[in-house]
Parts: sequence; structure tokens; C-alpha cells
Amino acid sequence: MEISKKCIVLYVLWLGINTLFFNDSLAVAADKENCLMCHKHRFNARIDENGRKRNYHVNENLYSHSVHRNISCRDCHTYITKIPHDPVTLKVNCANQCHIRPPFAQEKFSHRKIVDLYKNSVHGGKPEDSEILQKALPNCKFCHLNPLYSKISEKRVSYKETLARCNNCHPQSGVEMAYKHITHRLRKKTSRSSREIVQLCGKCHGDKNLMQKLNVSKKAMDAVESYNRSVHGKLVQLGSQKAANCINCHASSALHDINKADNPGSTISKDKIMNTCRQCHKNTDEMFVDIAVHPDITHAGNPIIKMISLSLGLGMYGSVLALVGLLLLETVGRRKDGARLVLKKGTTWYGKQKSVSGKKK
Amino acid sequence: MPGVKKRLAHPLLSYLLGLFFMVLTLIVFCGVIHHLAFSSHGPKLLGSFVEKYEAQTKSKILDDSQKLLEMEKHNHFHNFPAEYPKLPENMQPVCFICHSDFPHSKNKRIRSLMNMHTQFFTCETCHIKKRSDFKIVYKWHNPQKENTKGPFFGTSYNPRTGRLLEGDDPIAKITPFFKSINSSQNSKELISVIQLQNTPFVKDYIKVSGKLSPEEREGIKNKFHQKIKPKGHNCMDCHAQNSILNFKQLGFSENRIKYLRTLEILGMLSQYEDFYLPELFPDSPVQTNNKETK
Repeated sequence: MEISKKCIVLYVLWLGINTLFFNDSLAVAADKENCLMCHKHRFNARIDENGRKRNYHVNENLYSHSVHRNISCRDCHTYITKIPHDPVTLKVNCANQCHIRPPFAQEKFSHRKIVDLYKNSVHGGKPEDSEILQKALPNCKFCHLNPLYSKISEKRVSYKETLARCNNCHPQSGVEMAYKHITHRLRKKTSRSSREIVQLCGKCHGDKNLMQKLNVSKKAMDAVESYNRSVHGKLVQLGSQKAANCINCHASSALHDINKADNPGSTISKDKIMNTCRQCHKNTDEMFVDIAVHPDITHAGNPIIKMISLSLGLGMYGSVLALVGLLLLETVGRRKDGARLVLKKGTTWYGKQKSVSGKKK
Repeated sequence: MPGVKKRLAHPLLSYLLGLFFMVLTLIVFCGVIHHLAFSSHGPKLLGSFVEKYEAQTKSKILDDSQKLLEMEKHNHFHNFPAEYPKLPENMQPVCFICHSDFPHSKNKRIRSLMNMHTQFFTCETCHIKKRSDFKIVYKWHNPQKENTKGPFFGTSYNPRTGRLLEGDDPIAKITPFFKSINSSQNSKELISVIQLQNTPFVKDYIKVSGKLSPEEREGIKNKFHQKIKPKGHNCMDCHAQNSILNFKQLGFSENRIKYLRTLEILGMLSQYEDFYLPELFPDSPVQTNNKETK
């Protein structure tokens, strides 16, 4: 009895020391079934029959700092029934219920609401869609990675101060992750930067071959090109986070409800476009919404914009070329005067001027 | 002042200012020329010439593989891992040229698990033919660092997180060396068995491979495989008490050795008969045991 009591005391002490000193650095992923035994290895991959590299590696460290760290592998990969498992042919369904119960809710967590929104969007696809279109539609993981918690700097209230209150009741590691998860989404519409969003959408919408196969309209065919030509596109290319990217205009705060303009639910439909512009341009009126966000300067039916664009181009190229031409003329003139391109006695040009030396003679 | 040659009397400051503006003008000029001639945002006046030149060097195979590489980021949900340190391609052993780091593809069940071992082994570690006059010694080897000391990736665990420790040398792999059976126990005379790309024969092959006929190429391929056996070691040759690898000498920690020899891997091989393919491991003791229990 004596010995077992001592053992318990020692164990509790050890636990205390561990919690005090090591707790913040411990981030252990939910891998009760030890899937990482094989999947933690970075060369766990193969090249398939179509030449595609299949990478089965899951980085332990990254996974344990991701938002899915508490979800066991089989909550998503439900088709795995034994280890080692058969070659996987099924896909993960993000609308699955996992065994996590979010705070203030009795139901198990699921992405069903978002998945339903996505399914009803233009990217969700319909049974009557052609095979090529079904293949081209992006699934969840095309846009989403297993997101990592990122540090948020709180300007008004210090982040530690806020958390100190929460920690009075809630366990530190859990509440810290939840805080980061929520505040991150309060500040930004997407995790990716505007430039990354344009690049992501441009992977399909900027692929002219793919768009041609999908038989899209001319406007849709040039969507990325014309956006990049617009003031929004140029600002985003220069690194602006305020200028509108694709998501800002084409999706609501639900992000996945992207639809064509003729769909009444679309953020760019006739009825909703004014509200969409007003997210940034408070004084938007009916004339303002007529301004082309995807300007088509090559359009034959738009001669005024074409002329303005042409004259601005001529003005820009002309002024620079004229400036360089002037420099060249000046150089030729100086060379004719006898000046040489030599740095001597503090001068850029040195030599005898022909006219002066001629007079002396 | 009359008589002063104005153009010849610039102070140094004006030279510096002139240089600054000249450089600035030249940059803008180059930008404008690029914009005018090549950029997709400009009139792209020389676009047709560029396309004509690109068409000559264009390859659908290259385009497709670049597309696949790009798409891999979208096919892997769990944060496609950052680039890990690895040897430059020209320092990799010859096998890498044709077989890459992922050479196994035939056996559907275990192909990726076998590929996983290329993180720790060179190809020859499993596939080298034995020689009667030599015994094989296994050592960690890094072509960039002679006599690398480690610790090496995967040899021990982080006691707090339970994850494998990265170590100091992430590039070294367990590599076989021949040691003469007549040499003394303490002799350090080892002969490398891996075929590197910097040998004259390999360099010559890389230089002329495009000019060789298919028969000639096949002949050279056979030469490369002279000392290589197509079927490597069985799992149980290493993951067993009497492993051919001396884990302790290779720097593995006690608990890691126990894991590799006895715990889950051995359990997995012996418990899951489905996994344990008879044609792959014909002579292993585990299969014999399984047959007996049946």
C-alpha cells in the first residue's frame, strides 16, 4: 500500500511538471489507430500508371498543429476498415459527421451546410453535366489544405490578456486553438492572400484550353485576363489586400455560393450587384455598377474604350521613347562637339570642344 | 562666365545624379520595350516570334508533367510537405536517373511502403548481389559529407512528443560496403558498392545516351545491373531479432531498435495474412509459422 501511494504521488508530480513545463510545446495529433506508423514517412509515395505521383505522407508536426488535429483519420477516411488497408478508391466526404462536438452544440460536427452550399453553386455540378465538366469541377481539397493555426496579433486587447480570462475555466491548449480559429476568420474572408486567390481561380478559369473544351462564353473565356487588366487586378498584382479579388465579388460571406450572373442568388446578379459593390464603394449607384469590372478593351463594339486605351498606350510609350530619343540626340550632339565619355577631373564628359579649339587656332 | 567650357565643368555630384537618372531611364526603357514587345499585358508586338521559337522547344510530355506537378498541391489535403533537404540530382546514385526515389510499383499492397524505405536506404542496400570473397558492411553514408557522424533521421524518438527525431544529417542513407573476408576485424578498408554519377563510365553514358540505338542502350542497362539482384531483401531480413542490419552500430536508440525488431512492424507482418503475400516472401519464418497454425 505504502509503495503504491508513493507511486501515485510521484506520478501526479510528474504529470504536474510535464504540464507546467512542456504543455505548450506538446501538440499530439489524434492518431489512436497509429496510421502515422506508415504515413509519417515522407517517401511513402508512388508513381501511378498515369504518371501521377501519389503522396501518402502526412507530416506529423504539421498535422498536430492543424485544425483537424483532434479528428482521428477514420472520421474522414471512413472506408478504411482494416490496417493495413486495401488500395483506396473512394474519396473523403467532407459532409461526414465527425466525432467532435463543438461548444454550445449537441450535434456532432459536420461541414454539411457548406457542402450543401457548394453543391448548389456553379462548382457543385449537376447530374446532366458533361463528363469533361464533371472532371473539371473543383472538389473541396482543390482549394482547401488542412489549415494550420496561425498566430494572430491583437491590436486593441492583448492576445494573452484575452486568453487569460478564458483559461480560468477552459483548458489552455484547446481554448488557444479555438481563439485563433475564430479570430482568424473574423479578420479575413479567406486564408489565402488576394493574389493567391486570383492564382487559384486562374488555374482553371485562366486555362484557355480547358475553357474552350467547356464551351464557355467569350466573356468567361477572358475572365482572368480582363480582371488582370482592371484596376482591381492591377492593385492585387501590386500586393494590395484591399482591392477586390474573385471571392470578394463572386461569393457572399459563405464563400462557397459562387454562381453565374443569371442566377438570382448570385452576388453579381442584377438585384445584388449593388450591395456587392457597396462592400467597398459606399456610394455605389446605378451608374457605378455599369463600370466594367472585367474591361474588354479588344471588343470591337467598344470603340471609345478602345480609342482611349490606344491613346493612353501611345502617350505612355511615346513619352518614354521620346525621352530616350532626346538623350540619344544630346549624346550625339556632345560627341560631335568633341566631348568623350571619360570620367576625369570630376567631369562626366571630357575633351576639347571642336568649336572652342577651332577658334583658338 | 565667358570662355568657360560649361559642358566640361560638371562637378562629381552632377555625374552621380546623371548616372542615377540614366540607370533609371534605362530600366524604364527596358520595361517599356518588354511591355511593348513581349508582355501579355501589352500589345505583344513580337509575340508571334516568341511563339514560333517556343513551338520548336515545346514538349507535350514536359507540359503534362509540369501540370501534374502543379496539380499535386491540389491532390494532397494534408499540407503538401515543404521541400525536405535532399541530394542534388547529379549527386544521386545512378539508379535515380531511371527509377527515381519511388521505384516500386508492381505490388499494389506494399509498393508505397517499399518506396518509403528509400528515405533510409540506397537501392543497393536491398538489391546488391552478394560476393563470396566479401562480406557486406552497412554504414550511414552522405556523398556530400565524408565520415558523417549523425545523429541521423529516424534513429531515435523525441521523448516528449514521441515523434522521430530529425537528426543532424537528413541526407545520409544506410549504404552497403564490401569488406574483404580476409581483412582483420578492425580493418577500415571498405569498398563502396553504390554506382555514382561521377564515374567516367556514367558520365560518358549520360553524354551519349541520346545517340545510342535501343540495343546498345539495353546492353548498357545490363551493365549497370550486373551487380544488382532484381528482388531485394525480405522484410524479415531486417525487421527481426537477427536482423542483417546492426541497428545499434548504426546509431539507433534502444527503444527504436525494439520498435523496428519486435513491436508494430513485426506484428503487422505476422498478424495480417492479407498483407503477407506468399509470392513475395516465400522463405520467411513468419509464413512458415502461419502455415503451421493453419
